[in-house]
Amino acid sequence: MTLKGIALMSNETNRISIEELKRNALEIRKNVVRMVARNGQGYVQQGLGAADIFTYLYFSEAQLDPKDSSWLERDRIFLSTAHNSALFHATLAQRGIISPESLLSYTNDGSALEINVSERLGSIVEATCGSLGQALSVAAGVSLTAKRNEKSYRSYVILGDGELQEGQTWEAAMFAASHHLNNLCLIIDLNSLQVEGHTDKVLKMEPIDKKFEAFGWNTIMVDGHNFSDLRDAFTSASNEIKKPTVLIAKTLVGKGCLSLEGQLSHNMILPQNVAIRALEELGERYD
Amino acid sequence: MTNNLHLGDFTSNASNSVTIPKYYGDALVKLGHEIPEIVVLTGDLSPATECDLFRDIFPDRFFTAGIAEANMVGISAGMARSGDIPFVHTFSVFLSRRSLDQIAMQVAYPNLNVKLCGFLPGLTTLLGVSHQAIEDNAIMRSLPNMALVEPCGARQIESAVRAASAYEGPVYLRLHRPSKPMSPAEKLLPLEIGKGQLIIEGTDAIIFAMGHMVDISIDAAKSLLPHGIKVAVANIHSLKPLDTNFILENSKLASVVVTAENHSIIGGLGSAVAETLLEGGLSRKFKRIGIEDTFAEGGSTEFLFNKYGLNSINIQNTIKRLINDGQ
Repeated sequence: MTLKGIALMSNETNRISIEELKRNALEIRKNVVRMVARNGQGYVQQGLGAADIFTYLYFSEAQLDPKDSSWLERDRIFLSTAHNSALFHATLAQRGIISPESLLSYTNDGSALEINVSERLGSIVEATCGSLGQALSVAAGVSLTAKRNEKSYRSYVILGDGELQEGQTWEAAMFAASHHLNNLCLIIDLNSLQVEGHTDKVLKMEPIDKKFEAFGWNTIMVDGHNFSDLRDAFTSASNEIKKPTVLIAKTLVGKGCLSLEGQLSHNMILPQNVAIRALEELGERYD
Repeated sequence: MTNNLHLGDFTSNASNSVTIPKYYGDALVKLGHEIPEIVVLTGDLSPATECDLFRDIFPDRFFTAGIAEANMVGISAGMARSGDIPFVHTFSVFLSRRSLDQIAMQVAYPNLNVKLCGFLPGLTTLLGVSHQAIEDNAIMRSLPNMALVEPCGARQIESAVRAASAYEGPVYLRLHRPSKPMSPAEKLLPLEIGKGQLIIEGTDAIIFAMGHMVDISIDAAKSLLPHGIKVAVANIHSLKPLDTNFILENSKLASVVVTAENHSIIGGLGSAVAETLLEGGLSRKFKRIGIEDTFAEGGSTEFLFNKYGLNSINIQNTIKRLINDGQ
């Protein structure tokens, strides 16, 4: 599929430059490593892997008011992979939605920055997920009401590829296509990693694109680390007039830290020396 | 040529009878006129849950989710987060068994204004164990934030629906379609969430009953009166929040306390009353009447209620036994 033509038609004047996106993604990655290293809890590989997707979504794509996360006209972003919380909180801090200091409380007892993102944090968390495969349904409900009320806000769902094994994902996929929810955009973080290892070894899911096409979705394969490709893909999603859109975003776990890239470890412990090396690879000294 | 014989639906006699009004469906339509935020979802069971009436009046506020209950509950959560008041329709058993995680995480935890409308409570269906909700109350009442309401028949359905819609937060509405119309002599009963309702006064024993078992308990009380046994009957239409003061105050007046529910004796009304009495420091001769920790089978409601002891005779004998020897 060629997206260049569509991309050129869209108004990009308000959008942030790719250099700015890269700069933000780098800062977010550094915080992911620092946060996970501090308490020895959190999902560093998944965070580094999806950092570019999160950056694009929160800095360029979604209509948000960082000062008012309950703004009624905001785009809704659902984090189905609620465990990707170091990345989520780091992204919110970088975007100015929560304070950078709050990241220091990540996974501390009593903190609202839990290891599974919870709406204790506030209305920026559109639904408390973590029990996998539930967010797409809730987002579809939001999109359904938005369409009925002729609202322009859109729903985005960040879904782990392993969640495609949950039956509810496909119930929701069928529902969204059946109700023509073109204001719904699903982003699959295709990092091929689940608890027991490579997704192909646990339960084969390919061909994912053909499955979504068969379910009636506008289906786009995209490099989850290429901001230009992400921009084209999201533009195609917003120009779609009838179908929901799925972006199947190929990502590399540990992206940005050479020593961690491709290490398929779901609950990876990040000892101090590994964290220091990872930060050096990101161009930062750990202190 | 299309087959258009209108032969009806054998699983649901009530829907085929012109003589039995759709009490729930009519109430929902009334509320639909009054409250524009009400929307309706159904899991392929509109006629059996009477929300076809709402569909015909408010097609733009009616949504089919297909046979996919987990997704339907998630959809309702998204709609509630957007300002709608969704009424979600399927059978009780599918809400409590198939969608429990979705109800817990997407409805109860965020305390959303979703009304979960479950039909075919307990043994009221011939469709057998797959369709009989015998532990739904135990499950639903243990969820934080969830209210649980079951009207005691046609005369209380409209007030139950009205109370549920006025209640801010998630409600499990346990509903049954009456098998016969209300008699002209019957009076509509109000319903207040969080309140018990004394229907008959009596000092020898009290029956705390829910739903279907209220009328059966009234029959038992009336049958015991000629034997000189005065039995009070209380309708616990709100299992949660539970009117614990009401239960304690009325139990103090009687020497025997019996509970009657169209549900397992584990975890439902009987358990809730027992917890209330014990924590209230009140000791009474006590027995739970309900489904005795067993799966049932397909069959007519009358057959099943008799076989599994959900009948007037069993209540009468239980009360007599408790009064006579305390067993």
